[in-house]
Amino acid sequence: MGLPDSTQDLSSEMDVDAFRRIFPLRFFERHLSESLRPDARPLGKARDTIVNLGLVSTADGSALAKIGSTTMLAAIRMEVMTPSTDSPDEGCIAIEFHMPPICSPTVRPGRPAEAAPVISKRLSDTILSSGMIDLKELCLVSGKAAWMSYLDIYCLDADGSLFDAALLSAVAAFSNLKIPVVALNDNGRIVAINGEGEEESNASKKEAVNKEKRKLTLKNVPSSLTCILHKSYILADPTAEEESIMDTLVTVVLDSSDQMVSFYKSGGNVLAYSSAIKSCVELAKKRGKELKQILGEMDID
Amino acid sequence: MVGLSISEQHFVKGGIAQDLRTDGRKRLTYRPIYVETGVIPQANGSARVRIGGTDVIASVKAEIGRPSSLQPDKGKVAVFIDCSPTAEPTFGGRGGEELSSELALALQRCLLGGKSGAGAGINLSLLVIKEGKVCWDLYIDGLVISSDGNLLDALGAAIKAALANTAIPKVNVSTEVADNEQPEIDISDEEYQQFDTSGVPVIVTLTKVGTHYIADATAEEESQMSSAVSISVNRSGHICGLTKRGGSGLDPSVILDMISVAKHVSETLMNKLDSEISAAEACEDES
Amino acid sequence: MAAKQGAAATTYSPKPLVRTRPPIFKDSDLDWTRPDGRGFHQCRPALLQTGAVSSASGSAYAEFGNTKVIVSVFGPRESKKAMSYSDVGRLNCDVTYTTFASTGTDHKEFSSMLHKALEGVIMMESFPKTTVDVFALVLESGGSDLPVVISCASLALADAGIMMYDLITAVSVSCIGKSLMIDPVTEEEGCEDGSFTMTCMPSRYEITQLTITGEWTTPNINEAMQLCLDACSKLGEIMRDCLKQAASASEELT
Repeated sequence: MGLPDSTQDLSSEMDVDAFRRIFPLRFFERHLSESLRPDARPLGKARDTIVNLGLVSTADGSALAKIGSTTMLAAIRMEVMTPSTDSPDEGCIAIEFHMPPICSPTVRPGRPAEAAPVISKRLSDTILSSGMIDLKELCLVSGKAAWMSYLDIYCLDADGSLFDAALLSAVAAFSNLKIPVVALNDNGRIVAINGEGEEESNASKKEAVNKEKRKLTLKNVPSSLTCILHKSYILADPTAEEESIMDTLVTVVLDSSDQMVSFYKSGGNVLAYSSAIKSCVELAKKRGKELKQILGEMDID
Repeated sequence: MVGLSISEQHFVKGGIAQDLRTDGRKRLTYRPIYVETGVIPQANGSARVRIGGTDVIASVKAEIGRPSSLQPDKGKVAVFIDCSPTAEPTFGGRGGEELSSELALALQRCLLGGKSGAGAGINLSLLVIKEGKVCWDLYIDGLVISSDGNLLDALGAAIKAALANTAIPKVNVSTEVADNEQPEIDISDEEYQQFDTSGVPVIVTLTKVGTHYIADATAEEESQMSSAVSISVNRSGHICGLTKRGGSGLDPSVILDMISVAKHVSETLMNKLDSEISAAEACEDES
Repeated sequence: MAAKQGAAATTYSPKPLVRTRPPIFKDSDLDWTRPDGRGFHQCRPALLQTGAVSSASGSAYAEFGNTKVIVSVFGPRESKKAMSYSDVGRLNCDVTYTTFASTGTDHKEFSSMLHKALEGVIMMESFPKTTVDVFALVLESGGSDLPVVISCASLALADAGIMMYDLITAVSVSCIGKSLMIDPVTEEEGCEDGSFTMTCMPSRYEITQLTITGEWTTPNINEAMQLCLDACSKLGEIMRDCLKQAASASEELT
């Protein structure tokens, strides 16, 4: 970075865009000193958030979540598996996060993004440990058959706070999940019962195994907020540009009763004081309420 | 790749425009075709086809397999092409892989017909031994030994000849089996069945150089092409597949014109190929 | 928990995977209707939108019935593969499917087919030494995937400001029995007797890519070609409108 004095002088003569590119940190710090961000947000405010349900007709449950321009598409496919002997009456959830090459200029085909497996792991840890889903609800026939739900989350547009958007889309996809009605056939396999199928007349005579269990009950819904710590500033819900300039990220995941599910701080230059962490948690609480409202607005039936 | 000087390029293009190509052929004449069958004794059927400087080998291997659940009444056919780096230095590494998969895809399109199996050159229903249980899997491998243009037509001809050369053993299947068990099979060593190749199409590639199009282009001529259309035509004169290569666009009427020309050319090619194949078969029987 | 995820080896879908020809597709009877109630020569309604991905140079989203596709264009940018100097640009294409897009069909050839469809229309000499990347993601496969990807890619290229001779539009026709159906859905593609996919430049009236599978007679080919040409020029107009709308919207903003 150039000498502070010279950049100060340049800033008055230079085009704003050029200044932003050449001295990104200075550009941001000038904004931060005014308690405002380049996209006109106050420091602690998240971007506009939209959730849409049921966009993928080939999946059993799906949701699209948009935080600012960060876009995530999550879809769940339900398959049948034989449960393990340790937990004969529990199903299973497999979560995978993908960053296809369309989402960002840094991802190229054949070379998966470094961030994808990290987020994948954190998502599955968060969702499975939050107790949002009772795996026993995924049981079909104890010891014989249970649901394996494959949750795949695709990042369609990466513009920062990927984990927050991915978690939001995952929660929304689970709320949209409609478990197919199935029956056990003679060969001991589980088959779907279609209302209209004439050929399936044999199968439809069979008793449905899961007539009542068409939806999962979601409790302790987790919500998360990523913040950037820079000097004494805390920026909620950073964009990709902000993430690339200031590298100390803190992610707080709280459940619906504001208990902490997970806390994640990746290295970075700034050491977080407990006071800063407290304010992050406060922001996450506020954000949790916002998200609850957004999810509540959707007609979940 | 062929590197031609500007004057050579003009010579090739000028010859095509005057209907007298550098090797003395007319625009729609093929180079002489030589067919040799039974070149690989281990395979169920094989053939080597030479068209000018282009030299390819095709082999057919039949293995017992299981029909896919989507089409229980059909056997399976897989086509693989290998472009040997000995034929052309650029075939080594990824360049060869791309060309190989492109050729294999085009051949599959020409031989296997639509998704329902209609119009397939190889009658897949004949490959079934017991519906839903046992069928023949045909593995068709093509190898390009030397390349002097028009690989697709040569490979198509070699596969047709190899299929004509293919003998599939008779199979006896135990009739009484439970629904979910594989039946026992007994492959006969003596009795063979000749493969019916009457429906297998030939492939005619018309290469557009300048304002004209030519059949059976050499590598020199291909280096000057703007686009090429490969059309496969069966004995009844129906189109069984079409692939366009090369980036530049073609007027719809030109494509329709090419299709009718290809039909005409295919008749002579088909007759020539059939007589070459039967001559080669007779030659192999004698030896 | 980790151990349980590892046990995911043997699972199966409860929905049966049998693709028999539905009884409505009779060879002789021409009275049947298509699964989505369209006429034989009627395309699905097309929803097109540019600027779907903010971080890309250009992008487009296309929705034809259940087929949903996003294409992003990056560049012209530095070529990542170490290659020799070239005074024309390079085009790099990639088509991927989401895991939930369709049931177990691989489409390895789509990337090279997209490349072939586009290379003839892009003015490669306008970006020497650099590469333009065209990446497509099929969110949901509902039939005629490749034509939708190609049309969507040309819209994304236009959105990115890459110079082209014309827009590229692609349409496919399925032949079932004696009938020709334009813009087939997955069910129709699964039991088709032949398929005809055409990519063309509607304003220049040139065909850049054509693939035919299955057995076709010449009158059938003529008919299919005419159907495709008409549909391509209509689609071209829709795409032009979409680009004009996006341009006028951005003018209003500035």
